[in-house]
Amino acid sequence: MIERLLVMTAVLVVAAAAWWWWSQRQGVVTQVDNAPRLSADDLGAPRGYRATFVQFSTPMCAKCPPTAALLQAVAAERTQVTHVEIDASERLDLARTFDIMRTPTTLVLDGEGRVVVRMSGAPSIGQAREALDTVPPPTDYSI
Amino acid sequence: MSQETTPADVQIDPRGYRFGAAVTLVLSVAAVVLGVSWPGIVLMFLLAVLFLPGATVGPQATLQALVFKKAIRPRLGKPTETESFRPPRFAQQMGLGFSILAIVLGVWGPAWGYFLFAGFVAVASFLNSVFGFCLGCEIYLVAKRATTRSA
Repeated sequence: MIERLLVMTAVLVVAAAAWWWWSQRQGVVTQVDNAPRLSADDLGAPRGYRATFVQFSTPMCAKCPPTAALLQAVAAERTQVTHVEIDASERLDLARTFDIMRTPTTLVLDGEGRVVVRMSGAPSIGQAREALDTVPPPTDYSI
Repeated sequence: MSQETTPADVQIDPRGYRFGAAVTLVLSVAAVVLGVSWPGIVLMFLLAVLFLPGATVGPQATLQALVFKKAIRPRLGKPTETESFRPPRFAQQMGLGFSILAIVLGVWGPAWGYFLFAGFVAVASFLNSVFGFCLGCEIYLVAKRATTRSA
């Protein structure tokens, strides 16, 4: 009886440590290299000329609606930045291509549709701005 | 798992199901400590019964939710934020499934299966009640990817 109580307590302590480690990694902005491009057809929505937040969500994700509101607000601060939300459980093709394991995961596209960075988990407003700042300016074709 | 007919979304007070998870935590830890014995299995059965309305209708329909509405929310005041009922309902479905597995393995063996699934319910309800973290919701996409053949 007492051994089981001790083992159970130890398991819960390990779970708390795992949760803490996991929560520290929420929304961290990581560089993406050599990812395929995403077109407006792939997304089912127009891309932003400057940048696009592509947020993967599921109906079972509690943190997704607040993340969508935050990313929309950050997109609205800048010009020609848009936010697109995709149901990863319906677009499993995209979820597999980009190895989306959890929601929300947000890909940040440049003007050409290249994935520049990704944020796994719910980002803070600072992390969302930081992600946009890494996007290089669009190539100017108007010579 | 989730019903294909999508009825209107219900927004619920997240503190309500966190209270519910605290009740689940106490019962599941007690079930693990009591072990494979009639008191333990009866506790897991009680848990399964408590999960049933949450897994079918939603977490707003559980007995814990009723206690929260009647006795606790009046003391706390209005919620500052609400959430969709779907993620916690999915979590309740997982809780129900694991409770049933724990009962089946507790009665017919192997005994370690009882501890595995009762322990899983304890860990998930601990993370939910203490940190507001929904383990079932995190597993949803991974499970969907693993169980659905290429689209």
